[in-house]
Amino acid sequence: MNPFIFQSPTKVLFGEYTTTGCADLLLELGAKRPLLVADGFLLESGMLDPMIDNLRGLGEEPCIFAEVPSDSDVACVDKAAQFAREHGCDSIVAVGGGSVIDTAKVVAICLTLGGDLLDYQGLNCIERKLVPLVVVPTTAGTGSEVSFVAMIKDKKEGKKLLFGSPYLAPDVAMLDPTLILSLPPRLTAATGMDAITHGIEAFVASGTFSVATDALCLESLRLMFRHLPEAFSRGDDMEARSATLVASTMAGIAFTNSGVGIVHALAHSVGAKFGTHHGMTNAVLLPFGMEFNMEQAEQRFARIADYALAADCLEFSGKTDSYKASFLLDRIRSLLVEFSLPRSLKELGLPELDDDVLNELSCMAASDPAIMFNPRETTDEDLIEIIKRAY
Amino acid sequence: MAVFSSTEELHRIMEDLWNAIKSDEQMAGQLLASRLIVQFHYREPEGRLTIDCSDGVEMKIHSGECEKKPIVEMFMKSDVAHEFWLGKVNVPMALLQGKIVSKGPVSKALALLPALKPAYPMYPTVIKNNGLKVSV
Ligand SMILES: NC(=O)c1ccc[n+]([C@@H]2O[C@H](COP(=O)([O-])OP(=O)(O)OC[C@H]3O[C@@H](n4cnc5c(N)ncnc54)[C@H](O)[C@@H]3O)[C@@H](O)[C@H]2O)c1
Ligand SMILES: [Fe+2]
Repeated sequence: MNPFIFQSPTKVLFGEYTTTGCADLLLELGAKRPLLVADGFLLESGMLDPMIDNLRGLGEEPCIFAEVPSDSDVACVDKAAQFAREHGCDSIVAVGGGSVIDTAKVVAICLTLGGDLLDYQGLNCIERKLVPLVVVPTTAGTGSEVSFVAMIKDKKEGKKLLFGSPYLAPDVAMLDPTLILSLPPRLTAATGMDAITHGIEAFVASGTFSVATDALCLESLRLMFRHLPEAFSRGDDMEARSATLVASTMAGIAFTNSGVGIVHALAHSVGAKFGTHHGMTNAVLLPFGMEFNMEQAEQRFARIADYALAADCLEFSGKTDSYKASFLLDRIRSLLVEFSLPRSLKELGLPELDDDVLNELSCMAASDPAIMFNPRETTDEDLIEIIKRAY
Repeated sequence: MAVFSSTEELHRIMEDLWNAIKSDEQMAGQLLASRLIVQFHYREPEGRLTIDCSDGVEMKIHSGECEKKPIVEMFMKSDVAHEFWLGKVNVPMALLQGKIVSKGPVSKALALLPALKPAYPMYPTVIKNNGLKVSV
């Protein structure tokens, strides 16, 4: 067996209304005055009231920052950090999707380390523990509640900034399925496809996967294939919501330890250029990325099919890896149809792509950290070809 | 035991390697086009190397302290640098495990990796010429 290092420092709590125990958790972490960074929609809906009541138990009215846009940026982080300083906050609780959580992570950098935020962008250059960070994901997809990375926009420069460090792993992830019931079908599907992409890319990542990440990917994918369609069609199905929520966290732990791949590299560049939703963009690109990797990853794709889809296909025994890998790819394609998700970049809303834009997108993808983990080496021509096919 | 016996030896070898890269039209061209200023911080033994391509005309190679503010900084043990140039470092793994620290826009640092591949075969000659006794 190849040597590996596996780390996942985040304590994960799962349960309906688990968030009503947030105050005790903060006290355990030595914090008393959290900044609550919350999704605006959830805050207004009243769904966070039980949690906010619980936070009042810390003695003061909670400080709430609920102005995180979907494509969060440096200005938003600065504003939240300033607000937290003014109120003497010693910790952060983030409740929302990946945008809220990533913003909160970067606010934690500002609050702890001060100085110029740009000095901390990069991989592994944060050298000490940040203020306590408790995270409550309200989408089941990004895995940011356990991951070591955060991405936010630098609107001035028109670029995404990447921060990566084990110190960005939240201290606690509270998984409360009641908070996901309100996620509309389209976002349920798109964020779920993000988690499926994490599971698949982390499972085939080049030379970095391990038995530990394998176990997480396979079970995460089994849960997703089984329960995402249920969560999509019956949003109030607590079992389906629970399964997708836990599965997305498992995939998050996996990709944190083994990386993602070409689908994410391309999705990051398309997202940065056209502002498309991360999960939705992955959903469009996943079949094309899998096709590209088929030769190198066929056996691994077949293992996924064997484990995660066998229940759907009883005649798997005696079938070749090639058959099983194609079955997995077909299942992904059929999910996109079932969820009425876009199946091409054009359907995703991208305008015609001229040569300049194609070159720009391929250059961005070629220098995205995710590409390093892809099982098949890529050239600029390969990337352009995939984007053209996906269009 | 560390591969390089002293900062001087480390600096000498890295300077020789980068001078070889500078003389290679294709590699130098790609680096200059990036206009990057990359600074390598080595430890065990300590060392510092700055590659300045900012004017797009001439690649400047500077070892030791340097006043120019880098765009990208890379931190690693000197042994990791040695293994890297021998083509023996799994870069994704080294980044995941924190053996390489990359400060600044990561994409700019990564964009250089493919451009530097032709330099790998140059490295064994550089260390041999400097009398470094290691098996490659
Ligand atoms: N750090 C990581 O590891 C990581 C990994 C993948 C993606 N990301 C980042 O995550 C972001 C995408 O996150 P996302 O997919 O969770 O979407 P999001 O956070 O952008 O939210 C999308 C929309 O869903 C709404 N929403 C969230 N929860 C809801 C709920 N329970 N009910 C109703 N509406 C709800 C939000 O208000 C928003 O309008 C991107 O910025 C991406 O870069 C980070
Ligand atoms: Fe993702």
